[in-house]
Formats: sequence, C-alpha cells, structure tokens
Amino acid sequence: MNFELTAEEKARRKEFFDVCKELEKKRPPSLLDFETVFELSEPWQFHLDCAKEFAKKGWLALNWPAEYGGSGTMMDQVLFAEARGYHGIPGVDIFGVQMLAPTMLQAANEAVKKEFLPPIARGEVMWCELWSEPNAGSDLAALSTTAIKKGDEYIINGQKTWNTNAHRADWGFGVFKTDPAGRKHHNMTFILLDMKTPGVTVRPIPYIDGEAPYCEVYFDDVHVPAKNIVGQENEGWAVVNLLAGFERSGIGEIVFMLRELEELVKYCNETKRNGKPLSKDPLVRNRVAQLACELEAAKAIAYRIADLQNRNEMALMDASAAKIFYSELGERFAFIATDIVGPYGQVKTSRWAPTNGAWEKKFYDCFVTTISMGTNEIQRNIIAWYGLGLPRMK
Amino acid sequence: MDLRFTEAQEILRKMVRDFLTTECPKTLVRELESSDKGYSPELWKKMAELGWMGLVIPEEYEGMGYTFQDLTILLEEAGRNILPGPLIPTVISTFPIIEAGTEEQKKEFLPKIARGELIITMAQLESEGTFGASGIAVKATAKGDDFIINGTKLFVEMAHVADYIICVTRTKEGSTDKGITLFIVDAKTPGIKCEVIPTIAADKLCEVRFDNVAVPKKNMLGKLDAGWQLMEMMTRKGAIAKCAESIGGIQTCVEMTVTYSKERVQYERPIGAFQALQHIIANMWTSMETGRYLLYEAAWMESEGQPCTKEASFAKAYINEIYKDVARWAIRLHGAIATSYDHDIPLYYRRSKAADTAFGSTDFHRELVAQQIGLK
Repeated sequence: MNFELTAEEKARRKEFFDVCKELEKKRPPSLLDFETVFELSEPWQFHLDCAKEFAKKGWLALNWPAEYGGSGTMMDQVLFAEARGYHGIPGVDIFGVQMLAPTMLQAANEAVKKEFLPPIARGEVMWCELWSEPNAGSDLAALSTTAIKKGDEYIINGQKTWNTNAHRADWGFGVFKTDPAGRKHHNMTFILLDMKTPGVTVRPIPYIDGEAPYCEVYFDDVHVPAKNIVGQENEGWAVVNLLAGFERSGIGEIVFMLRELEELVKYCNETKRNGKPLSKDPLVRNRVAQLACELEAAKAIAYRIADLQNRNEMALMDASAAKIFYSELGERFAFIATDIVGPYGQVKTSRWAPTNGAWEKKFYDCFVTTISMGTNEIQRNIIAWYGLGLPRMK
Repeated sequence: MDLRFTEAQEILRKMVRDFLTTECPKTLVRELESSDKGYSPELWKKMAELGWMGLVIPEEYEGMGYTFQDLTILLEEAGRNILPGPLIPTVISTFPIIEAGTEEQKKEFLPKIARGELIITMAQLESEGTFGASGIAVKATAKGDDFIINGTKLFVEMAHVADYIICVTRTKEGSTDKGITLFIVDAKTPGIKCEVIPTIAADKLCEVRFDNVAVPKKNMLGKLDAGWQLMEMMTRKGAIAKCAESIGGIQTCVEMTVTYSKERVQYERPIGAFQALQHIIANMWTSMETGRYLLYEAAWMESEGQPCTKEASFAKAYINEIYKDVARWAIRLHGAIATSYDHDIPLYYRRSKAADTAFGSTDFHRELVAQQIGLK
C-alpha cells in the first residue's frame, strides 16, 4: 500500500496547481461556486476562457488515446480536478469533457468520434445532458420523449427537464425512446443534437435564489441526423450506465471544500465574538475539527476510487459511497459554517457578507449534489442491491 | 499511488483470520470476559509461536521485523473476530523500547516479548481521564540509584497480569508536557497494588496504585524529563492500532447485518428487501468504507515514518463515532434478538464504547485536529 504519488505525478500535480493558481487571480468575484458558472455571465465567460487555456495544454483530452489528440493518464484527470477544485477554476465542461468524451471513446463509432471529440478537446463546444423528464427522474427508464426514425433522421418530440446549462450549451446528449413498443431497457437510443436545431425550446427554471442554472427543454418535431448516436440503436440504456461509471471519485468537489475549510479557519482566527477570536471557542474548534475529519475521510475514499479506476477496475460500490458521503458532508458543512458565522451566514454578496456571500450560497447549493447524478437514495440502492446482494425492488 | 495490499500482507491477513476463527470462537471470548485473567495463556503461547507479539520487533531482537501497517492488518482481523487479551498493550508498549530504549533494555525485553514470555502494558491515564499532559500527576523522585514512584494510574489495560508496566510519570513540578519521564516498572515491585475496574467490555482495565515504588534508574525509558514525545508516540500509534481493531469490528457488524437481513423473513419476504433497511445498511457500509481508507492512510504514514499526528487524530475521532453508530444500527436491524447476552453483536457494541475511550476520545482528537488545521 502506498498513498504517495510518483515523482512524475507530483510534477504533473504541481504543473496543474501552478496554472490554476495563476488563473485564480483572474477569477471573477461573482464565481462563488461551480453552480454560478451556469447562472451568471461573468463566471460563464471565465469558464470559456479557462477552457481555451486548458485546451492549449491538451488538458481537456487527458487519458484519451493519442489518435484523438489525447495524452496523460486517469491519474492526471484526478490531479487536475484537485487543482481546479482547490483554486475554484471552471474550464472543464462536466458534460462534454467528463461524461460524453469517455463514453464516446468506448461506445461510439469512428465517424462520431472523429466528428465530436476534437471540438471538445479544443474547448469550443459546450454540452448539456438531456436525461430526466417530468415523469422520469430516478426511474429514468420510464422516459417517454420519443425519437422516431424517418429515413436518415430521428424526429424528436417530448420534454426533458432539470437540464443543467441547457440555455448556454451548444450541443446536448440524451436518451430518447426510439422503439416505444420495445421492451424496457432495449427501447431507447443515446442521441447527440445541436441545441440550435429548429423545434428545440429551452426554458430556464428559476432556482431557489431566482438564478437559473437548470432548464427544461421542449422538443417539437426536432430533426436530428440518424448518424448522431452513441452505441447501438435501442441500446442507449447500456450507454447511460457506461457514462455513469467514469471518474466518480468526486475529488474536485472534496478539494473545493478543503479550500472552504481553510477559509472558515481563517475567518475563525480573524473574527472576534464575546471578546475573543472564534477560534478560541471550544465549541467552534470541535465543530470545525469534525468537518476536517470527515473531509479527510472523503478524500481518502476518493483516492481509493481513483486508484481502482486508474487500474481499470470497477469502483461501483465505493463510488456510490463516496458520492453519498461527500455530498451529505457538503450539507453538514453548509449548516455548520453558516451557523458559526452567525447572522452573516444569511448575507448575500455585499459589503456585509464574509467570503463575498459564498456561505449564504452554499446553504442552498449544498443539496444539489445529493440529488444530481443519481440521487443519494439511488446510490444507496446500488450499494444494497449490486454491492451487498440484498433483494432488488420490483 | 497503489492502495492495494501486497500479496504477503494478504497472506498475513488470511493467516490471522483463519487462526482466530478456529482458536478464538465467541464461546472463548465470553469465557474470558468472565474469567479473572481475561486472556488465555494457551492462546497467547500459540500467538507467540506465530510471531504476533514480535511482529514489529526488529529481527536482531528475535522479532519478525514487519511494518506498522502489517501490524494494523493483524489488529483489523483481531477486531473483526474479537481477541481478548494483552496484545495491543504489549505491542504498543514495545514501541518506546524499540525507539528510545538502551541497548541493554532492548536486549532484556524485546526477545522475551517476541517469545510471548512477557506481558507489558502502559500506564498513561490518571483520575482526570485525559491523554493530555495535564492529566499526568503520578510522581517519580530520584533517590540514590532508584526513582520512587507515588500515585495512582487508572484504566491500565491488563495490568493485573502484566509482568512490566511502562509508567508515565512527572519528574518535575508542573502540569505541562515538560518534566515527564517514562519508566519500565516490574509489576511485582513491592508497593504496587492492582485492582480490576469493572468495565463495559470486561477488558480488564485496572487501577494501579504506586506506593513508594522503587524503580532502578537503569529502567528509565528515554531521557529524564523528556518523555512526553514517547507518551505522544504511544498515544498516536495506539490510536491507529485501535482504529484498525475498530474497522475490523465494524466489518463484522456490517456482514452480520447483511446476512441476517437476507435470512430473516417478515411479511413473506426477507427484511433486507425493504428499502427502509437497505438504506440504513448502505449507510453502515459507507461509514465502514470511509473510515477504512482514513485508517489505511494514517497507518501507511505511520509505517513510513512520516509525521501523522493530524491523520491519526482524523482517523481516531472519526472511527470512534462510526464504530458506535454502526454497532448500534446492527442491533436495531437485528431487532430484539440482538439485545440478548448470547448474541454476538452486543460483544461488538460494548467494545465500540471501550475503543472510543482508548488512546483518546473523540473530543480529545478533535482538539488535536483543531490545532493541526491552524485554528489559533
């Protein structure tokens, strides 16, 4: 057993951190967390700029085969995610780079790979995910939006929802029912489509704070070339499951929280209450230390997952456990931090707000990760059914 | 980075697991709990033949020369099975001798420990009940060729059967970490009185009273007045060791709960088919797995000789809480059956409380973490 990085990995890690540290100097103050990238124009523009910067270095194609312009390893992805997490740097499209690209590399035909991978590596095309529907959330296989083949096109009709960043994305990938009479799990296809195709209507959904990171997307006779699919026709469910398995350590989110912990420690050291710094209050010390312990536990299991995935081994149970753990830790963190900063925990970006309002924002962004990418309840099912062999719900 | 155990480590794990399954059934565990000794000399002898007490002792002193991480694998299995007896106090007491003992002390004690001929324990806690320096009040005063020890140590594990006790004393007035000295005390020295304290895990924690106990100067361990570092080292290594034992215990609680929930039928289906239970079991598994890698990280750092006060405290503070929590849920999910004396789960539940008090409580370690993460 060895937790230490190789000399080569250490050098790479430093390179990632150096670049992200420089970028942090240009980070707009309104970029409070990664959700703001989808909500506000300044953070979004910064995301695009960072993507260009990373593309130049080949960092949007880490762990891709060289023939598609890739370089680096799975471990590089992890180390790069750490650097971005710590310095709060966007620039890597979660949907295009982290989800779609590895899926295409494994499941798409050559023509699709040649057409869609290079623009992702160049940081030119941003993607969104078109999965959930009003009546198909956790039970995604119950979806009803159809894509009916006609000649060399699919005609899509229906509605998707909770589509992060659909209002800014250039392209979308999703699963659509291509054989409505077919049997469950063998009746849908994984389709790629240009979000500017006629018949696509995107409506942002106001989030708790009135901003709009998520959208609903309506399809009204949307014509998509039949060649734009990943995997086999009617076998999109297998592609969905494949996609769900990539880089799931959550290390970026965890390291972002480690930075937030540093900010919280700094705040406690510098802020007086009852005539002494908050850091002298044993209750505060205890609660902050508890967060630190849990964060380290999250980091340790994230490395465990990275280590497994780096050797192409399955990390299904651990990935679900890690997701449950770090997302719910995020909730505890938000509650404790906003409690410690007292009345300032409710203040939005303004001169009264500590850390520019990041704590207040964390209070209502904290549960996003518990719901997205398979709710934590679904993750618990995965551990129970596939990991521990408990009887599956019918 | 490679978080797999080596093949040799996997063999060690299997060897320990197989041995304990055969040699230390729960009937023996219960028997030892109600016995006076609290351990089985026959089993102790067999463990010595397998080299367990000498696992981390260098080969030149008849040990196996294994790493600290190897030791935690052994202890994880011990915790998984439950192994009553003085293994942890003996191996943790060995470390200050290895690191700070004189050549004479090493030659005198280490081979005998490795052969299973000596039981050693350490006397750290006193009436304040803290592993911090302020809790050390037992005095040792120089007199001729001896030091005279006076005072009372508490919660000294297996002291009633120990041959030697590593006693942490105060050799200078005060309550700080300066002026602390360790002595290797022969447990048969006149003036030592030992009484077993009735505890939740029946693990024979003792009150040890020192009444003008004369200890030869040559039995001083490390330097005069500079023993705090050794005390901290024992607490840190002991904390990691206890975490290993606890993760093993947690694993049994999870495994037994999974098995039972597949067998127990209510409403014409195994209770494990109900999501209400599935999600609790998934939580138990998640706790175990997050704690496990926290342990492995601390154990690896300690093994490599890297500073890991912070990591040891991360692990102890976290695992203290999850062991109690997982064991409590294991009882809940088994239902009334697991509240009976004859059921195995309560053996673990009781030990989860004992484990959290050993080598530093949750709050003690959280305070160490607070210091380490920069809270002023």
